[in-house]
Amino acid sequence: MDEEVISRESPIVRVSQFVKRYKKHVAVQAVDLAVRRGEMYGLIGPDGAGKSSLMKAIAGVLSYEGGEVEVFGITVDSERAAERIKHKIGFLPQGLGLNLYPDLSVEENIDFFARLRLVSEKELAERKAGLLAMTRLDRFRDRPMKNLSGGMKQKLGLICTLIHEPELAILDEPTTGVDPVSRRDFWAILAELQQERGVTVLVSTAYMDEASRFHRLSFLSGGQVLTSGTPAEVQALVPGSMVTFGATPQREAIARLKAQYKQVEALGPLLHVFTEETVPAAALQSITASLGDIKPVHLRVDEPELEDVFVALLLRQGKQPMTSKGPLVTPSSADRGLAIEAKGLYRDFGTFRAVDQVSFQVKSGEIFGLLGANGAGKTTVIKMLNGIMPPTGGEGWVAGVDMKTAGGAIKERIGYMSQAFSLYLDLTVAENIRLFAGIYGLDARATDQRFKWIVSMAGLKGYEASLTGRLPMGVRQRLALGCALVHQPRVLFLDEPTSGVDPIGRRHFWDILSRLAREEGVAILITTHYMSEAEHCDNLALMYAGRIVAEGSPAEMKDQVEKEAGQLLEVVTDQPGPALRGVTRAGFTGAALFGTKIHLLSIEPGQDEARLRAVLSSDGVHVLGVSARPLSLEDVFVYRVMALERQERATAKGAAA
Amino acid sequence: MNLRRVAAVASKEWRETVRDRMFLSLAFLIPILWMLVFGYGMVLDVENIPYAVLDRDQSALSRDYLYRFQQSRYFDYKGMLQTEGEADALLAASKSRAVIIVPEKFQERLLAGQPVGVQTLVDGTFPLRSDITKGYIIAINAAFSEELVVDYVARVKGLPHARARALVQPVKLEVRYLYNQEVKSAWTIAPALVMFVLTLAPPLLTALGVVREKERGSIYNIFSSTVTRLEFLVGKLAPYVGISAFNILVLWAMAVYLFGAPFKGNGLFFYATALLFVFITTGQGLIVSLLVGTQQAAAVITVVLSVVPTILYGGLLVPVSALGPETKVVAHLFPAMYFTNIVHGTFLKGVGLEVLWQDVLVLVAYATALLSTGYWLFRKRPAV
Repeated sequence: MDEEVISRESPIVRVSQFVKRYKKHVAVQAVDLAVRRGEMYGLIGPDGAGKSSLMKAIAGVLSYEGGEVEVFGITVDSERAAERIKHKIGFLPQGLGLNLYPDLSVEENIDFFARLRLVSEKELAERKAGLLAMTRLDRFRDRPMKNLSGGMKQKLGLICTLIHEPELAILDEPTTGVDPVSRRDFWAILAELQQERGVTVLVSTAYMDEASRFHRLSFLSGGQVLTSGTPAEVQALVPGSMVTFGATPQREAIARLKAQYKQVEALGPLLHVFTEETVPAAALQSITASLGDIKPVHLRVDEPELEDVFVALLLRQGKQPMTSKGPLVTPSSADRGLAIEAKGLYRDFGTFRAVDQVSFQVKSGEIFGLLGANGAGKTTVIKMLNGIMPPTGGEGWVAGVDMKTAGGAIKERIGYMSQAFSLYLDLTVAENIRLFAGIYGLDARATDQRFKWIVSMAGLKGYEASLTGRLPMGVRQRLALGCALVHQPRVLFLDEPTSGVDPIGRRHFWDILSRLAREEGVAILITTHYMSEAEHCDNLALMYAGRIVAEGSPAEMKDQVEKEAGQLLEVVTDQPGPALRGVTRAGFTGAALFGTKIHLLSIEPGQDEARLRAVLSSDGVHVLGVSARPLSLEDVFVYRVMALERQERATAKGAAA
Repeated sequence: MNLRRVAAVASKEWRETVRDRMFLSLAFLIPILWMLVFGYGMVLDVENIPYAVLDRDQSALSRDYLYRFQQSRYFDYKGMLQTEGEADALLAASKSRAVIIVPEKFQERLLAGQPVGVQTLVDGTFPLRSDITKGYIIAINAAFSEELVVDYVARVKGLPHARARALVQPVKLEVRYLYNQEVKSAWTIAPALVMFVLTLAPPLLTALGVVREKERGSIYNIFSSTVTRLEFLVGKLAPYVGISAFNILVLWAMAVYLFGAPFKGNGLFFYATALLFVFITTGQGLIVSLLVGTQQAAAVITVVLSVVPTILYGGLLVPVSALGPETKVVAHLFPAMYFTNIVHGTFLKGVGLEVLWQDVLVLVAYATALLSTGYWLFRKRPAV
């Protein structure tokens, strides 16, 4: 019934035919948008989609070239008009912690924002206490902001944005660059605040898998809105199903499937295919038919995720799936032995042990993912294996050489691509490739040969003469990959390589990685924050506080958690806020709000569902549905890390007592 | 204007400045360092010139002649040489800047009334310094020759020395240097350096401080809040002006007590005009910061805009009156010149508003223009 009141009210943000240009570059073109009071509205899209420009214009901090922006009934078309809405708005600009003051403490930061907004000292004290407690930052009041972790900076940013209790909070990519646990924590806090205070939230994200958290959303690409609506409405635009199965030989299976389906992804040993068939049986049948004599195993059919829907929409828009059909095949007779081996590696910085007894193996042709929050030790491990940083102890072999003694020899056998893409932005694509060839001492003939290979492998044809700085993120990323491969390394290290790339670009990138591994036998070690990407890896290791705390293939890791903690249940109710409180009271500690739905883990789904329904109906909440969902790797990550954190707190308390 | 918001911005700015090591040293340490480095580096007096002598005569008169150099504060005696080869070596190694070679039969020929040539080798690497060295040598040599003539006239005519001296030099030049009696360049340069440091330090601090917020993105806190442009600018700039207000005292004390410059004028008048000048240079920094996007660009542009006009046209090295007609026009375009007039006027001449009112008026106009331009350029809803 709340819903009806909301929908009858006029929107508090109304954007029509909005155009924003930066000199000649058109950043946003003819965008329409309406945000209603009390809802959490999501803007989803890759870097450069126009999200930030749109949000800034709505917040009244950026002028625009065309269309109309109306906020709280006021047309924001001048600085004077913009001033009239600002007391009702809280704006968190993009960039983790970048709007905060590094040399000020947590409390001083909050005080500054509050005084700037003329919050009375009494109200400030009350709200500060409440928000600090809720975000569990109260212990860090006096800590300078620059010494906070990424997740803590993000929560502080949220407090500072909300300290004057705005009616509309505009949050620009608040979760970018934060690990999954902090990200979930953030969404939980935001959802709770919204339920309590009724604040309207306009929030943007580049993580497609966060889309289902919003009441309504718009998907932006290239400065235009591709689609808008509730998650369910968006999903309904592209009816179909996702079929997941194993098939060998994988390359051959992919080749056959691609002839018929636009979305074919390799997830480790599994294949992930989107079909427009909505009936599971029909979907299975059509897949089996196109595979011919290759027999699929472990077949599973799911509803498509929103990311799949977005990709389908992008493809409908005429964007090509950009498969690299190039002559990747340099049939290598490389042995399929061990490419990377770490044995009891550890590294101390002073008294702090950054990496503790890390052991793992990566075979040639395997994609191995190293997951973990910021500061878990992932980058230190990579640096040690690269020969950049000597380990304090332990052993490691990379491409057949001992990393402690090999030094320069390691660098000739490995490729390394960092998050920052170490490209020269003022050089053209061709100049960058030739530069890297020169750095690795390739002669003219080898350079030509590798140049051609890289251009075709990375799909850079037509971009050779473009300035690197002007390339879309996805193309730049593939160029960086190409440059890391210029000397034909047998082992490739990728340190968070996919931030800010659009979903099609990301899929293209993974397509290349999987071909590199399968066809060329290159061993790939990758770290990533995108849990949906971790699904592509053959094997994973989860790091926590310098140690590896879980290992295995994505499927194995999910199975383990399911055995320990149970299945993921999704509860849909008519009143999400009260429902969450009820569920938490009933003892489901891990329950969290996910858009309008509640997610929780349950060991005995049957019994728990009955208990849930009983608890909620006694609270006057209508349960509209309870269904089991497959666990995502993010669920696994969050579950594992939370368990370790609880354990740590318990030991700390024990030690203190 | 809501003072609570101004105070919030100002106190935040102050804390950030004193807690950030780079900003803290830029605020308090760098001005002192500049004063020291430029003060000692730019003093143009040539004193204590190292020199050596080669006395081939070894007579009473030759020793008397050479002794006059030893007595002078402009020369620093480095020793007696035996051969000319040694002289070359010393000059080449820059251990001495001049060598005076007294020839054989110096005394004998002088007493016989014959002219004598004294060979002088001067290091010509820096023309200005060599010219001054040569001038000192000529002066000492002339005084010695004059003594000889006076002696001769006194002896021949049987006159007292004083009368003889009057005959030899009927027109005597009497020079009295006003304002800087000892013609010490430190007296002139140290006060001008106060101007120089105040041209550079405040805008650098301001430009970096504002651009830092733009670069990081925290400026959006200001854009998106209800704080007005004026409140923000006043709060933001107040700590910087305050720091510079304190630095004026430090720089003044350094000029007076360290470099020995006299201060003859009204302290309050000097302080007020210096503060006015700080407003101008802070305004310059503000304008630069609003036009550029990165701290590097802000630093480079501020330094170029401040240093070049100040050194070339501000009367720091060359007085504006000595510039060519076109450059003189350029000099009048920069505020530095007017403040240099005030600095020299208050330090050396002891004059005040009654004489310098035109310069003060021009500075007031500059301060008003620059700060209003800054205010006008600052937008809470920019296009990029």
